[in-house]
Amino acid sequence: MVHVKKRIMKGLTLLMAASLVLSACGQNDNGGSKDASKETPSASGSSSANPSETKLEPYKITLAYPGTAPRDLALVQEEMSKYLTEKINATVELQPIDWGSWTDKTNLMKISGEAFDLIFTAGWYGYAQDVSKGQFLELTDLMAEYGKDIPGVLGEDYIKGAQISGKLYGAPTHKEFAQGFGFLLNKDLVEKYKFNTEGVKTLEEMEEMFKTIKENEPDVVPVVSNRFANTWGAANYDLSGKLPRDSKELKLVDDLEDPKYIEFMKRMRQWNLNGWFDKDVITSDDSDQAMNMIKARKAFAIGQSLKPGKDAEMSVTTGVPLVQVETATPYTTTGEANGAMLAISRTSKDPERAMMFLNLLYTDAKLLNMLVWGIEGKHYVKVSDNVIDYPEGVTAENQGYPNPGGWMFGDQFKTYLWANEDPNKWEQFKKFNDSSERSIALGFVFDETPVKAEVAATNNVKDEFYKVLNAGAVDVEETLAKYKAKRDAAGMQKIIQEMQRQLDEWAKTK
Amino acid sequence: MTIATRIRTPLIHVFFILFAIASLFPFLLVFMVSVSDESSIINNGYTIFPSKISFAAYEFLFNDFAQIARAYGVTILVTFFGTIGSVLITALFAYPLSRRDLPLRRTFSFILFFTMLFSGGMVPWYITYVTMFGLKNTLLSMIIPSLLLSAFNVLLMRSFFANTIPESIVESGTIDGAGEFTIFLKLVVPLSAPIMATIALFNLLAYWNDWYNCMLFIDKANLMNIQYLMTKTLNNVQFLLMKADTSSQVGDLVAKMPTETVRMALAIVGVSPLLLAYPFFQKFYISGITSGAVKG
Repeated sequence: MVHVKKRIMKGLTLLMAASLVLSACGQNDNGGSKDASKETPSASGSSSANPSETKLEPYKITLAYPGTAPRDLALVQEEMSKYLTEKINATVELQPIDWGSWTDKTNLMKISGEAFDLIFTAGWYGYAQDVSKGQFLELTDLMAEYGKDIPGVLGEDYIKGAQISGKLYGAPTHKEFAQGFGFLLNKDLVEKYKFNTEGVKTLEEMEEMFKTIKENEPDVVPVVSNRFANTWGAANYDLSGKLPRDSKELKLVDDLEDPKYIEFMKRMRQWNLNGWFDKDVITSDDSDQAMNMIKARKAFAIGQSLKPGKDAEMSVTTGVPLVQVETATPYTTTGEANGAMLAISRTSKDPERAMMFLNLLYTDAKLLNMLVWGIEGKHYVKVSDNVIDYPEGVTAENQGYPNPGGWMFGDQFKTYLWANEDPNKWEQFKKFNDSSERSIALGFVFDETPVKAEVAATNNVKDEFYKVLNAGAVDVEETLAKYKAKRDAAGMQKIIQEMQRQLDEWAKTK
Repeated sequence: MTIATRIRTPLIHVFFILFAIASLFPFLLVFMVSVSDESSIINNGYTIFPSKISFAAYEFLFNDFAQIARAYGVTILVTFFGTIGSVLITALFAYPLSRRDLPLRRTFSFILFFTMLFSGGMVPWYITYVTMFGLKNTLLSMIIPSLLLSAFNVLLMRSFFANTIPESIVESGTIDGAGEFTIFLKLVVPLSAPIMATIALFNLLAYWNDWYNCMLFIDKANLMNIQYLMTKTLNNVQFLLMKADTSSQVGDLVAKMPTETVRMALAIVGVSPLLLAYPFFQKFYISGITSGAVKG
């Protein structure tokens, strides 16, 4: 077997060579035989905090995360590896996997037992399922030994939010810890009509604005897309509509029977009848159409989940000045707490080293910024201590290392800010985190395995109804009755009972 | 020239002209969108007559031209070797099966047929290629799995050999003292140009259009093929739109995705070479079918 493999490898190397001639790229790390395991004896005998550092074997850490491989990935990888060799005698292999292929690809990687160390995961990205399949290692002991600094950076709430039945399987990114809710508004129109966007606005106050726009701006749609209903739902319920935000006890409800929800749906119906939505409101959010209308200044408002500086960010991406307005105070649910994590795969050959690397992502700003922004002088230049900008001749279009997303790794508050960003961004974030209201079910994760079939069936029913309801395109009473009957037939009550059971279990262990 | 044909012919012509237009129109639309100015799309949607022409999308693509060129290189290389290898192997399997005097003929046919009905499933299939043969991140991973030999093509070719190559030709070869290989290469293959062309075309298309293997087996950007480069862009956009509700960060990513014009330009860049290659193939294909062998 071994020498067959060798022979195959030989043939492959030939082919690789052919491909490399084509590719004009000299980074051949085939087989990892001659990797940069250059023993760099720490010249000054630097007294590092790591006691076991003296006898660490060279090791290659693989980090898989969703994203598109940028042009200069190999360069950044090399730079990081150099730095890591000094720190923990390890090199790193970055493995960006495209968003669209992620599920297929990572599932096969996990099932076939391919060796990799760190992998991105999130509550909305299959975390609970992977944990129940045993794909991730339990981190508590590892963290106590090799990731000592992580709990200090994160604080208790984050760790609690990322746990599943009292055990930790992923290290959450230190980022915004809550979700804000509201609209992005066209700034020019806000100024023109002197709307007040300070503080939290009630829906009635928003309606005043829409009315003004409708009456005075015949070419502008007051609200584009049916997205706001989702935003409102997330602001008022936890556990996808089953636990009202103002509930004092862990008692689940069926949102289709909840008076508050019905009232809101009737309001959407009214908005639709008032002609405040765009004409394709049912589908405009399934494509770029909604955002394009904002870009074309043909729409005044779009529902949005918010965070500090979201309006500034979106103004840059859309090219239209926007301003954000909140319709509810920030809210923290489990979904926010485990919205981005790094887990250690059960196939990792050296989990201890993976944990050391993870620890560095929370403590070592230099390493973290390499991963997030690339190489200093090539991909960015420092303007001041923690503010950066593009070097001469580099633009957003031709940069070789577009940011993979600082929200995926370690301590986002240690990443540099761009010159055009609010220099107080991270203070704002901290304030935002502190101001948020914690859900009473924070830390509870629903394991849907026992009711998997019902979940799939109810989701199909939901797909059939929620868009038209959110868009207010149909009569509410009648449609809700149909929706509820169908959803119950698909097993909704069974799901609620199962969730209630798990929730009660979880409440006992708290 | 009866009255009926005089009416029928123009009708048929009109029908096919309309049909051709209906087939070409989407291409034209994609092309026109790819050379439109982004703002014109945002304001007026897709149209054949954009209010403003702009080649910004192509400029954006050719900014990263190295990657596109490399992806083309990979696709062409894989298609070339894959097609040749595939036709060769298919023919070498199909020809013996078409000969009545092959021992164990039924067994071999059954083995072939069995794979059409049952497969080992996704995971074993993946494990076989990745862990047993170590094909991950190699060009071979885009040539071998599920593309190299299709049972259906073997059966097609077998029936062609069995039905169109007369027994007498093989016999005449044997009488002249030719061995099996000589008969196959000198007599059978030249007479089977049509089926060879057909199978080659099938394979060529399959290899050219395949992105699935690339998605599963390739992580390195320098080994990605052109189809995957396009597909992944569209898949990413779709996926992120789907997930935009569940994570606020993902919502932000959507806004940074390549624009409409860039996506269309990618499609044009990906499909053009094949469009140009098609007419050439077609000529070959039609002339092949009409070449006879045995004179009656």
